[in-house]
Amino acid sequence: MANENEQELLDRFRYAVLLEAVRCLDEGVSSAREIDIAMRAGAGLPEGPLAAADQAGLDVVLGRLQELERRWGERFAPPRRLQDLVAAGRTGVAAGRGFLEY
Amino acid sequence: MYVFKAAVIGAGTMGAEIAQVISLSGLPVLLKDVDPGQLARGLRHIEGIYERRVARGRMTQREAEDHLALVEGRLDYTGFGDVDLAIEAVPEKLELKQAVLRELEGSLPRTAIIATNTSALPVSEIAQGLAKPSRFLGLHFFFPASVMRLVEVIGGEATDDETIDSGVEFVEGIRRIPVRVKECPGFLVNRVLMAGLAEVFRAERDLGLTPPEIDAAVAASGLAPMGPYALADALGLDIAQDVSETLRAAYGDRFDLGGRIAGLIAEGKRGAKSGAGFYTYTG
Repeated sequence: MANENEQELLDRFRYAVLLEAVRCLDEGVSSAREIDIAMRAGAGLPEGPLAAADQAGLDVVLGRLQELERRWGERFAPPRRLQDLVAAGRTGVAAGRGFLEY
Repeated sequence: MYVFKAAVIGAGTMGAEIAQVISLSGLPVLLKDVDPGQLARGLRHIEGIYERRVARGRMTQREAEDHLALVEGRLDYTGFGDVDLAIEAVPEKLELKQAVLRELEGSLPRTAIIATNTSALPVSEIAQGLAKPSRFLGLHFFFPASVMRLVEVIGGEATDDETIDSGVEFVEGIRRIPVRVKECPGFLVNRVLMAGLAEVFRAERDLGLTPPEIDAAVAASGLAPMGPYALADALGLDIAQDVSETLRAAYGDRFDLGGRIAGLIAEGKRGAKSGAGFYTYTG
């Protein structure tokens, strides 16, 4: 398999999961911390989707979502919460704050 | 509220697994089914789990026997008069669950907590018909419950805070990880996971990749413990289809599986449990 296609596939999976986790956060389904715990203990993911995004850097995540949105449609549109976090400088682990606090 | 005795209604694989988890924590548990054959299979399933624990050296034969003795099979509601918490795990049909729960409620003490182990039906709708819906909640165990640590604790519209707290304490007491989830279609984990699965199916088509290629890439990336196709097979394709239809009806086409699973189910391929799904399974 072409490496580029592989990367595209992984990102589409990764970001579809992240976007749904953010929707759950926005709707108050659970807290950021509990969403990550649930995805690790309930789905066996090695890392919670919100912590993983914080680790990658939310500015990087935002840029990649904008690319995915252009290519695959508005289901990848960056959520308001993510844009606000980046605008406020809360870009994740490196900044000490993102979806979670560090 | 402290739970001294529990009950599970429905001795299918899920009900039996939940009863096993409860007994492993040292708590007495009644396992009830209307079908003697199903009850026998359920009890045998629990025995098998303990036998494997002994074979792996995780407990002694004596310990396994002591834990197994905590599980009592029932074909009626004998002994339910001092049950503190009962979990309904009958098939995912709303009317069936409601009928079973009304019957169950009448056989329990007034203070008992009743839970449903639904993975797709709304907790608030299941609660309709109960005399005390304030004492009712969702406890969503994951398959197989004897292995999976998470339990989603879901309050319905009428569930009171004390019942949620008791549900969380009970889950901790049986050494599982509780996460409080507000009621919504698909709850939390399945909703987030199915969003990823639907996107993988779209990517398969757009990018011209095969399931083994995708599974290998996902596993190699460390993104998930197994590839999405292997995961769907393990979950059961019929279950994945049911959950995704609930999600699609509630949230729209991002949950559309594009018929990727429906065709396989039509051929009788329901995943690992049926011997075939995206992959073929032997033995």
